[in-house]
Amino acid sequence: MPYLCLFLRLIVRPMLREKTRSLLVLFAVSLGVAVALAIELAGDAAASSFHTSLQTVAGEYNLEVRAAGGVPQSLVGDLARLPWAIRVTPRIEDHATVAATGETIPLIGIDFIAHANDPDGARFSLPQNTSIFNDINSPDALWVTRSLCDHVGGTVTLLINDRQHAYTVRGFLPSSAQVSGDVAVMDIDAAQQATGKRGSVDRILLKVPDRPGFAQWQQRIRTLLPPGVQLLPQGSETAANRRMLAAFRWNLRILSYIALLVGAFLIYNTISVSVVRRRAEIGTVRALGAGRRAVLLAFLAEAAVFGVLGSLLALPLGRFLAGGAVRLLSATVNALYVSSRPGPLALSTGSMALAFVVGIGVAVASALAPALEAARVPPTEAMARGRREYDVRVERRRDAVLAVLLALAAAFTSRLPALGGKPVFGYIAALLLVAASALAIPALITILMPVLSAALRRLLGVEALLASRSLAGSLRRTSVLVGTLSTAIAMMTSVAIMVGSFRQTVVTWMECQLPADFYLRPAGEPGADRYPTIQPGLADRIAKLPGVAAVSRFRAYPLEYQGLPATLASAELDSPQARQGTEFLSGQPSSVVLRALATGNNTIVSEPFANKHHVHTGDALTLPLGSRAVPFHVIGIFYDYGDEGGIVLLARSTMLRYLPDPAASSLAVYLTPGADLETVRARIREAAAGTDVLLFSNGEIRREGIRTFDQTFAITYALEAVAILVAVLGVAGALISIVIDRRREFGLLRFLGASTSQIRGLILVEAGLIGILANFVGLLLGYLLSLILIYVINQQSFGWTIQFHWPVAVLIAALSGVYAATVLAGLYPASVAQHLNPIEVIHEE
Amino acid sequence: MTDEFKSRNAAPPEERGLQVPPIVHSIVSPDESSCSFSSSPPSGNVGPVLSIEGVTKTYTTETEPVRALDNVSLAIEAGRFVALVGRSGCGKSTLLHLAGAMDFPSEGQVVLDGVSTRHLCEGELTQLRRQKVGFVFQSFQLLHTLSVIENVELPLLLAGRADPRPAALHWLAAVGLADLAYRMPHQLSGGQMQRVAIARALVHGPRILLADEPTGNLDSATGNSILELLQRISSECRTTILMATHSHEFASAVDVVVRMRDGRIEEVAVR
Repeated sequence: MPYLCLFLRLIVRPMLREKTRSLLVLFAVSLGVAVALAIELAGDAAASSFHTSLQTVAGEYNLEVRAAGGVPQSLVGDLARLPWAIRVTPRIEDHATVAATGETIPLIGIDFIAHANDPDGARFSLPQNTSIFNDINSPDALWVTRSLCDHVGGTVTLLINDRQHAYTVRGFLPSSAQVSGDVAVMDIDAAQQATGKRGSVDRILLKVPDRPGFAQWQQRIRTLLPPGVQLLPQGSETAANRRMLAAFRWNLRILSYIALLVGAFLIYNTISVSVVRRRAEIGTVRALGAGRRAVLLAFLAEAAVFGVLGSLLALPLGRFLAGGAVRLLSATVNALYVSSRPGPLALSTGSMALAFVVGIGVAVASALAPALEAARVPPTEAMARGRREYDVRVERRRDAVLAVLLALAAAFTSRLPALGGKPVFGYIAALLLVAASALAIPALITILMPVLSAALRRLLGVEALLASRSLAGSLRRTSVLVGTLSTAIAMMTSVAIMVGSFRQTVVTWMECQLPADFYLRPAGEPGADRYPTIQPGLADRIAKLPGVAAVSRFRAYPLEYQGLPATLASAELDSPQARQGTEFLSGQPSSVVLRALATGNNTIVSEPFANKHHVHTGDALTLPLGSRAVPFHVIGIFYDYGDEGGIVLLARSTMLRYLPDPAASSLAVYLTPGADLETVRARIREAAAGTDVLLFSNGEIRREGIRTFDQTFAITYALEAVAILVAVLGVAGALISIVIDRRREFGLLRFLGASTSQIRGLILVEAGLIGILANFVGLLLGYLLSLILIYVINQQSFGWTIQFHWPVAVLIAALSGVYAATVLAGLYPASVAQHLNPIEVIHEE
Repeated sequence: MTDEFKSRNAAPPEERGLQVPPIVHSIVSPDESSCSFSSSPPSGNVGPVLSIEGVTKTYTTETEPVRALDNVSLAIEAGRFVALVGRSGCGKSTLLHLAGAMDFPSEGQVVLDGVSTRHLCEGELTQLRRQKVGFVFQSFQLLHTLSVIENVELPLLLAGRADPRPAALHWLAAVGLADLAYRMPHQLSGGQMQRVAIARALVHGPRILLADEPTGNLDSATGNSILELLQRISSECRTTILMATHSHEFASAVDVVVRMRDGRIEEVAVR
């Protein structure tokens, strides 16, 4: 109780006295925690849907059979006829677009007879006195979630591949199916017909008895399957998706902690200021009998107060921010990884505990250094020495040497390989660089301030002199402030450079990779795991049109390789135009490699695929194609930025030998020289009448690609903005504490003839100087961090080669914005300083 | 009490139990003499440098209003060295603040070198301070982030003077600290710091120097030297000095002693 009393009097009371400053710090901390919480909640919600979309109404199974290009339907009968009590359920799993809304939904084809015999299978909701078997032979019969259509007999028009079909709703999916979002289910025959997957199914689910054991059953069944067909534990695709998404979530999580890192600087600054300001008090209470431990605990408790209250505030704020984050995240996940619908956002006990652990942990850890310093000071020294002497105790040389050592350690660490597939050492290198920068700042300020001071004094007069001297005089506080803001700026700069470089790389890549004049693909929102097709006849019709030189058909299938999702694709390389434009890591000419691709069992793989699976040119690659496992020879690795999972590309003629489905996923149309673009466009539209395909000119498809790219990275910009906001709030809070600490100086200046506008100017110039220094350090640190992001973290996480590019316009706009915000953050403290009563403050001592 | 002083104190003499002087306290300047300190001797309005006319100052506290000055009148001619003496809380500092155009009286008016502060706005008060007033404080109040010379230059810089260095050097030399111009304040002794503060208070050629307990933080020997310095400034320049002090010993060294009690002028004594 006595300690509580002391804590309330010596710590809480001053916090309450400086309400604005305390609230700013509190809000900054809560925002940092809230962002981390929001990303965690949104990530969970986005990832939770993987097992609920395509695996709807799956029931309880323990094995599944899959194959690239589809499992031959004959295998269903073969498995069902085995003399064991195995339940066998084939499924079609695809996507359809609801014509009325444009929403893409999972389309599931199930064997209703097998399903009816499945004791674990979900029961459909049907009209009274009807049976599901009444409608299974109707090709237009559809069972949907109630949100899609709320009455039996209603019509739902679906776009499947490049065709629209009208379906009649016969019943509803059971609530026990735990469906997240809309889903349509049809009988498997109707689904095969609608999706064009005649003779094959996407997956066969198996339920094996408990004995003789799961492993034995796997071994027993695998020996009966053709070599190209995979037998996997059920849910392995979800696990594969999760593995693939892990790097994305990991990087996003790290990004979300930037705001918290900035918040940690603020706590450090706040506690440092608190220690400096109460130095005499520390001496007094030590002299009156308080031990070092009590002093240490008092300041840690002050930080913990910010941590606890910040975490409490972060709960509703994080839940609110998660609503926005989940939309951005879901768009990215759909565009890059897998079709999914976010699950409900749930503020679980675990996530709340995380908020508190992170909030309090970061706050207390940040306060440890200044609190220890306060505890170590002898009482006599604390009482004798003033703030100024304490401030100048920053050991610039020692810190500068440490900074150099840390920077060297960062350079070394950045060269270490990924740990468990994660760029752990890349992030450690980034943290070391941030620490090195923080330590180098005092020396940097000492060097830069006289130069800045002289220049600004000529420009802005006495305010600049006083501001620069004050900042240099309070080196410790200035360093922490500049460190806080520059860290946020560096993070923003590095991500802006990384994204800008990536964008420019993609633009350049698209210029080479998309040489055709027109592209066609089925209508509907594209997705990384959606493989809709165009009917085969359309390509032939277009090829015969006047003005068309060649049509190249591109076909893609989902592929699982070494437990990770990838894309198996084929391209038609008969025309010389189609053999242009692909860039290889080896620098080999596109035409040479692609001509060789069309011969024998050759393949080329994309850079992300090669990096993920450690594939090199000249390696052999065995691919599961239909029911066969076919060895291929890798003759090249090409740059690709369209598929994070990676692409294995064959010549179309090779692919057709193993997977004879002639439908294409997209078409590239090359025009004859001199052909009029708009005339040919009209002819293609005419040829495509009756099909639902989208036609893009070369320019349009590039714009579409960039739009998707920008959408994908929208969340990173949002996270950067929050980190900057936290830092600017911190600057405002710190400037208020500067005003409070230096009120006597401001009072004195008024006595010496300073006008109130000069006092305001002084604070604004200080804010401006902090902004200039932070921008300078931030830009430098940001550049170094961007190198780690581009050449280490990106390479190890995603496997893309990104060409470095300065996004000059973006950086100028962002840095100017931050600078303006920093100066604006000085307005309130300036107003406080302006309204100080000089007589009162000069006589305080 | 001589003819030089006429008192017009509104408080009835019987209330204070004192033999009060005439109603108006008018402190007339001695003969002008040459000023070895100033490069540009103060010049200004003919008549009193400072005229405090029926001034009352009331502060509002949480519980009740406090009358810090009660109908005080005082007129000080140029070149006089005046000491305000009295116990803590008697109104000395309040009088200095009003005299220095740092505050407005609740009643009455303050006329500084012919300019009444009554109707001035904040900006005009600042201008008045810049031109006519210099302050010296008990705790020196030097800015520790600035060097000695920069501290002295400060009033000129705040007033927008382009080249303050020569004047600052001149005044530092005048207070005997030319050698220490480029040191930082924490490298100086208390007495040296107060000399710097005096140089800073005089650098812009004020008509009146207001010193609030200038020897309060110094030992007696150093305090004496500061007092001597102020005496020289007063005698050799025409700078009027109004000094608040606790010390009766120091008070005896000035031209005029104004004794204050409970917000009123109790007695004016001329040496």
